[in-house]
Amino acid sequence: MNPVTVKAIARKEFYHLVRDFRSMYLAFVIPLLLILMFGYALSLDVDSVRTVVVDHDKTEVSRDFVRRLDASSYFEIVHHLNDSSPAVSYLDQGLTTMAIVIPPGWTEDLKADRTASLQVLIDGSDPSFAGISRGYITAFVEAYNRDRLLSFLNRKGMEKIKAPVDGRIRVWFNEDLDSRNFIVPGIIAIIIMIVGAMLTSLVIAREYENGTMETIRSLPVGGGEFLLGKAIPYFLIALTDVLVAVFMGQVLFGVVMKSSFWLLVLASTIYISVALSLGFLISIATKSQLVANQMAILITFLPSLLLSNFIFPVGNMPKIFQILTYIIPATYFIDILNGIYLRGLGLAHLWTSYLILVGMLIVLSNIGFALLKKEGM
Amino acid sequence: MSWLRIRELVRKEFIQLFRDKKNRPLLIIAPFVQLLVFGYVLSTDVRDVRVGVFDQARTRESRLLMDALNANRTFRITHYMNHPKELEELLLRRKVDLALKIGPDFSERIRKGDSAPVQILADGSMSNMASLRIAYTSLVLEGFNQSMIEERYKQRLDYGKIDARIRTWYNPNLDSRNFFVPGVVAVLIMILSLLLTSMAIIREKESGTIEQLIVTPLRPVELILGKTIPYIIITQTLMIIVITFAIVWFSLPMKGNFLLLIAAACLFLLSTLGVGLFISTISATQQQAMMTTFFFILPFFMFSGFVFPIASMPTAIQWLTYLNPLRYFLVIIRGVFLKGVGLEVLWPQFIAMMVLGLIVFVSAVKRFKKRLD
Repeated sequence: MNPVTVKAIARKEFYHLVRDFRSMYLAFVIPLLLILMFGYALSLDVDSVRTVVVDHDKTEVSRDFVRRLDASSYFEIVHHLNDSSPAVSYLDQGLTTMAIVIPPGWTEDLKADRTASLQVLIDGSDPSFAGISRGYITAFVEAYNRDRLLSFLNRKGMEKIKAPVDGRIRVWFNEDLDSRNFIVPGIIAIIIMIVGAMLTSLVIAREYENGTMETIRSLPVGGGEFLLGKAIPYFLIALTDVLVAVFMGQVLFGVVMKSSFWLLVLASTIYISVALSLGFLISIATKSQLVANQMAILITFLPSLLLSNFIFPVGNMPKIFQILTYIIPATYFIDILNGIYLRGLGLAHLWTSYLILVGMLIVLSNIGFALLKKEGM
Repeated sequence: MSWLRIRELVRKEFIQLFRDKKNRPLLIIAPFVQLLVFGYVLSTDVRDVRVGVFDQARTRESRLLMDALNANRTFRITHYMNHPKELEELLLRRKVDLALKIGPDFSERIRKGDSAPVQILADGSMSNMASLRIAYTSLVLEGFNQSMIEERYKQRLDYGKIDARIRTWYNPNLDSRNFFVPGVVAVLIMILSLLLTSMAIIREKESGTIEQLIVTPLRPVELILGKTIPYIIITQTLMIIVITFAIVWFSLPMKGNFLLLIAAACLFLLSTLGVGLFISTISATQQQAMMTTFFFILPFFMFSGFVFPIASMPTAIQWLTYLNPLRYFLVIIRGVFLKGVGLEVLWPQFIAMMVLGLIVFVSAVKRFKKRLD
């Protein structure tokens, strides 16, 4: 392999990129947009459940119950109503997630030590919202009942006790339970796939479409030199994007790495190379920009978003998809990112993921060379 | 305006589209692959919480607590550890989602009527799921508390307690699929219509045939109609096929009116075709058009409430989402599918989509015409 040849090819590709201002511009703007969107605007956390309350009972006890509901940070009471039927339309229109109806005679039941029913309606159309709402309200009611039980025991003059178990829950790795802390690092993986694989999937296909592949074939350039030269500009762009994303995550959103920066750089270098190899492979195999782009979305972008344990947990998927996640490079990169950003892990824990990524790089780039060789390079 | 000329242009477009073998997988396979992947993969349900336990007490009470956890279908105790360091290591390696430390004096304290602390470490890295796991955990603990209290007094304690009768509407089993799959249909329609229109015109530009089209007696309006009608037909057909497939394959409920959905899709297409036309006026090559399309699709997708709830966005961004046609279409498609509601509830979304669509489409057409002159 001749470094001069590689440099020449890289320079040619670089001119192409600079001349096509829009592609270059998007290679930097799309990552910025992603980081800003996820950092500022997109969150998976449910801060509080929007609730509408219908209190038919209107006693001191029921009002106190509602007050306690409102005071807990889990619920936000948007409206108090006197009638149940408008509450239904609140759910229909999606204005609130939950409607709580306190029936008449509720307090009477409670005071007579009978079970008093409470009607709770939840809009289930967004299942994760509904699940959280259901969890919150059940936990709230259970805690309320426990207090009532203890005060009942006191009232009856029985031996005073405390709640038997006191669960002290501590959250690790993401102490403030902010989805930003795992989404912003994960975005690095997505950005690399967009810039690394989607952009490069067009690169060689373009040479085929324009017929310039023939010219290149007649030059004294080997397959390895050709691919390496083509890769260098995109590698540099992707690495810049990563650094910008890391910097912005830290400065704008306070998402800080718990372990070494250089481990991240090492992982990114390997993962960018994997993405580039994938992009070139698609490009050589399809030889058409439109098809290459579609393929790139289907086999690089979507899997790294959906099948990488990034937002959607692998444990919830059907077995076939779970197996599929093992052959997706993003799975390992996301694992490394999670380790570096949230868990503060080092190579001692993460080396398997690094090794697997290196293995993928070797396999993919060799297939790429072989395909090019078959084409006569 | 001559319908004959439009018809011929539409026919040409169809022939061109289906003659190219490479287009076929894009048109037919890609939507189905996406539907299947999305349908199976998109789920943030908390179903299987893996728990590691370090039990220093090893008494009847501590075993009862673990039984209470195991009895709840959501939790599964996977590891019993003998050392707190091992327990923490499990958490670090993502082998468990929760780690429970039960102190040596656990039972003594309970028997004395005191509170026994249980230390629970939760992996918060996926915060949305962690919050739910924590809520479920406190639920199990409360249930355990009550059974312990009742056991202590060895009599029925009929105190006034609340019985929360929770009913979940629209999607009683909280199936993520029912929520996501209708949304996927909307997203697929958006991607296809946007990409296909912008590509159709750019291709003519790139190969220079747009000049030939201009010298024919075709008027700009006819050209635009001829270039958009095929994609309206294709996306509508695909939508019907994909929806039918979704209903059959994923046994999705379809509570509302199918025709209403088609009407909504037509209004939605006004906006997406408009954006597609607009992209074609500002791009010179297919690569540029693809990247620009991607640039438009991303915010439409992210700020629509498809995955990320709009209610969790900052207020300013929430206002911006009113400019996103996909937001309205999602409300409609989910409303029709899951809630079975009709125009009486969805009319604001219809009007919003129509106004937005008309503005986008008309201004795109104007810009496009200017480019042609």
